[in-house]
Amino acid sequence: MNNTLLSLTIAIMFGIGTFLILRRDIVRVIIGLSVLSHAVNLLIVSTGVFYGTKVPIIANDGGHGVTEETGTIFNDVLSENILAPILAPGHSVAYVDPLVQALVLTAIVISLATTAFILILAYRIYEEYGTTDIKELRRLRG
Amino acid sequence: MNSLAQHLPIILIATPILMASLMVLLRSRPQFQKVLNISVYFVLAFLSIVLLLQVWNDGIQVYEVGEWGKYGILLVADLLSAGMVVLTTCISLLSMVYSLDYIEKRSLSSTYYPLFNLMLAGLNGSFLTGDIFNLFVFFEILLLSSCGLVIANEHGGVTKISDKMEATFKYLVLNMLGSIVMLIAVASLYATTGTLNMADISVKLSAMSAAGTMPWHVFAIALMFIVVFGNKAAIFPLHYWLPDVHPTAPSPISAMLSGVLIKVGAYGMLRVFFLIFRDTLYIFQPVIIYLALATIIVGAISAVAQNDVKRLLAYSSVSQIGYVFLGMGLGSIYAITASLVYLVNHAIAKSMLFLSSGAIIHYAGTRDMRKMGGMVDRFPMIALFFLAGAMSIAGLPPTGGFIAKFVLFDAGITDKYYFEIGIALIFAVFSLFYMFRAWLLMFWGEIRDTEKYGDYSAQKASPLILVPIMVLAVAIMVLGLYAEPLIALATATAGQILDPQPYIEAVLTRVVR
Repeated sequence: MNNTLLSLTIAIMFGIGTFLILRRDIVRVIIGLSVLSHAVNLLIVSTGVFYGTKVPIIANDGGHGVTEETGTIFNDVLSENILAPILAPGHSVAYVDPLVQALVLTAIVISLATTAFILILAYRIYEEYGTTDIKELRRLRG
Repeated sequence: MNSLAQHLPIILIATPILMASLMVLLRSRPQFQKVLNISVYFVLAFLSIVLLLQVWNDGIQVYEVGEWGKYGILLVADLLSAGMVVLTTCISLLSMVYSLDYIEKRSLSSTYYPLFNLMLAGLNGSFLTGDIFNLFVFFEILLLSSCGLVIANEHGGVTKISDKMEATFKYLVLNMLGSIVMLIAVASLYATTGTLNMADISVKLSAMSAAGTMPWHVFAIALMFIVVFGNKAAIFPLHYWLPDVHPTAPSPISAMLSGVLIKVGAYGMLRVFFLIFRDTLYIFQPVIIYLALATIIVGAISAVAQNDVKRLLAYSSVSQIGYVFLGMGLGSIYAITASLVYLVNHAIAKSMLFLSSGAIIHYAGTRDMRKMGGMVDRFPMIALFFLAGAMSIAGLPPTGGFIAKFVLFDAGITDKYYFEIGIALIFAVFSLFYMFRAWLLMFWGEIRDTEKYGDYSAQKASPLILVPIMVLAVAIMVLGLYAEPLIALATATAGQILDPQPYIEAVLTRVVR
């Protein structure tokens, strides 16, 4: 149920972002881009919750073999079709993947920088053109 | 020396980043900045050649950043990466030398040097990284720094600042959308395979495919990567930003954008599709081929009608990148060799053409070719160099472009793609037409109507502007007359691309510390 709500939220955010990007006002386009990037961040975070399936976390032994304390296997045994680090039998733990959170942090920082740049650009365009209507931005043609 | 050689991949990325911050600190000492930057770029070009030789002699080099093994960030230098890094560092050295006299002094020392260094770091990083999320990060570094560079001011102010901002806005919005799509694709890939290491993903996806359990959404992810790299490389439905951005940027930046930056898309395509999505390629090869053909057609037809010299060159870039993607889509080892040879030749020729068009518009005070004419008397050297570049783009012997087109068409005919090669040949004739139209309009004929448009400015191009153009023109001729080493290198590279097993082994069969 929780996952359904989360997915629905992400979908609606993608919808709003796409709608805003198709507007004529530059500022709305920029807001649309931010909404979209937040939707992507939510999407990434939502992939990081596991209920006892694949857990990509390195254990103390350096990442190979079974450790009894955590109950995880980190060997990719391709012949047995074991693709990612998986739980040893008899264990069932809910994990949150720490890596996706690192990814999201990086993505947030990057989108902060790009949004700051594009906002300043929008301000300068407003100064030069006297409007924020995107249809007026068509001096380059041919 | 031995330890330095081990750390080459990280040096090639870290030095430009370090230089960027150093250049901000040194902005009140322009002379020192100039000397330091040029000497560091010389060293970087040398080091990249050392790296290529190292890869050629000792096989694929893997560098673990922070020694986390395959779970951390890896820098992998195989022949493709090292070759692209050599191309990048050499062209950016020449563009930097050219910029010293071309870019306005104040803008040069305050923003231009740091951003140029960051762009070089982004380029080297995206070529060398072995981690797909890291590729995204370097793409963003590349995007932001190149946006800042497009707005940089050149001497004379031929391009209005409002035009630059409009172009940058288009570039930034489209590429931000591209990076959002890339983030979705990377996240889905991670959720599917549980790893971000490209070699690891490749192993897992091919194991799934061998077991017949490949999820259907892998195809959707692959399609998203076509959108991302197609957007970077300006492939047909996504090429509309390029003819605005490349002409409005200052000429050395146009040379970097057209010469190297759109090749990042081609590199990403080669890396991601032939390493990770090998098993989906049978569906996407026709897609790539027909997108490439559409790109060739649209670029060539649009270039014919242009009067702005840099806009013509930009549309020509769209058309030429189509040929690179065509070779990729054909997919045999010979076709990929052709695609790589084409990529290198186009990078050199198009950088040269943009640099010399910068010297020309600097002199004429306008970008409109109809207002030029008769410049062969005043500018015999540039006329000669521009002719060499035009011949290379048009594919005439004895330039490198002839070899590239010949190998590409030969590869297509060997693989019996007669219809595709036929279309490519027809539009190669178009490129002959538009390049020579540009050359004739600018250099031949009467001197322009000086009463109507004013005389040419008395300012001649300085040696710092002429030398990079000359070096690149010589490189075009050398690649045409003595093409065997490049073709041998490209063949070895294509072999590595089509058989990724050595790459995977080099990355994965290492002791995790």
